[in-house]
Amino acid sequence: MRPILLQGHERALTQIKFNKEGDLLFSCSKDHVINAWFSHNGERLGTYDGHSGAIWTLDVDSQSRFLVSGSADNTLRLWSVQSGKCLYEWEFPTAVKCVAFNETDDQVVCITEQRMGYQGAVRVFNINRDGDGTAQATEPAHMFNPIGSKATVCAFSYVQNRIVTGHMSGKVAIFDYKTGEEVDNNERAHGDEVTDLQMAPDRTYFITSSKDKAARLHQTKDLKVLKTYTTETPLNSAAIAFGKPYILLGGGQEAMKVTTTSLRQGKFETRFWHKIFEDEVGRVKGHFGPVNTIAVSPTGTCYASGGEDGFVRVHHFDQTYFKAKPYGEWEILD
Amino acid sequence: EDAAEETNISAELIAHRKRLVDEWNTWRALCEEEISDRKKGKKAERRGEEAKEEIE
Repeated sequence: MRPILLQGHERALTQIKFNKEGDLLFSCSKDHVINAWFSHNGERLGTYDGHSGAIWTLDVDSQSRFLVSGSADNTLRLWSVQSGKCLYEWEFPTAVKCVAFNETDDQVVCITEQRMGYQGAVRVFNINRDGDGTAQATEPAHMFNPIGSKATVCAFSYVQNRIVTGHMSGKVAIFDYKTGEEVDNNERAHGDEVTDLQMAPDRTYFITSSKDKAARLHQTKDLKVLKTYTTETPLNSAAIAFGKPYILLGGGQEAMKVTTTSLRQGKFETRFWHKIFEDEVGRVKGHFGPVNTIAVSPTGTCYASGGEDGFVRVHHFDQTYFKAKPYGEWEILD
Repeated sequence: EDAAEETNISAELIAHRKRLVDEWNTWRALCEEEISDRKKGKKAERRGEEAKEEIE
């Protein structure tokens, strides 16, 4: 499984996402740039220039037509994937920490940071897909301020009018975005900040990673915890593999251990866990700093990791990965 | 005796894994059903709306 190294960022990666077909990979970084790459060979397709601050988050729609990004420059931007042009820009009082499209590509949810006297906010924008995409409404269709611990990550549920959120305190919650009401929560989903939230393809379950060193699989409907993957390092990202029953986890190492590990060794690993049996099955080394973000191609043929070291590594799975059955013959539904 | 115990343990482990896999697959099948019911429901809703519009 020889990785393809994507070199085009000068600072830490914050989020990476594959498009639906898995042929394109999008990456954003603290260096103010968004890149698009061909996943099969690592060639750069283009860049999306315009943000004037660290870019914390991005998402691409299922048609690979629109890209949204959120930045420390307090803007949410809509881009044309093909032309690289910025189609629309929304401005807020604080940084945008998380963005995500809904299943039908006509809504975007975003979280803005709680800072300088401003409350953290969740906004849902309707995306007008007619014409060239430049005719967007300035005002959000829905907006609310979650009370209590601030939200760090979010995604649309498969249930209408619902979003799920992960919070600073470790809480995971369901909100009705029309009323702003917290419909359900699991205060003790994690013991520390929730750092990533990724939905399964049909959105009936999702995975969260946390600084508390664990990742958890939750049922979207009622936030019941289905599985727990406990590691010995704070986690920054968790992804669900497709076609194989694996979970991919990435993170850093404890601050106290930093001085005892040689940075030159590229020791920062992506860990593979068995989704059902909750056991670690393998590790892939490579990054020279903590792994900040992991994405699995919807085709199930490759995955990518983005590091604090400024590199993106794309790994195409080889035959041994597809043939491997570390726990014997089990038919496991995705 | 040790060997016998080992096979016992692994048989137990396999039974445990089988239970986990069965539990997971049963739940996934239920989810799939729920999703397809929802989609059918939405379609029916849309058909209902279209019919209403025609009446108007």
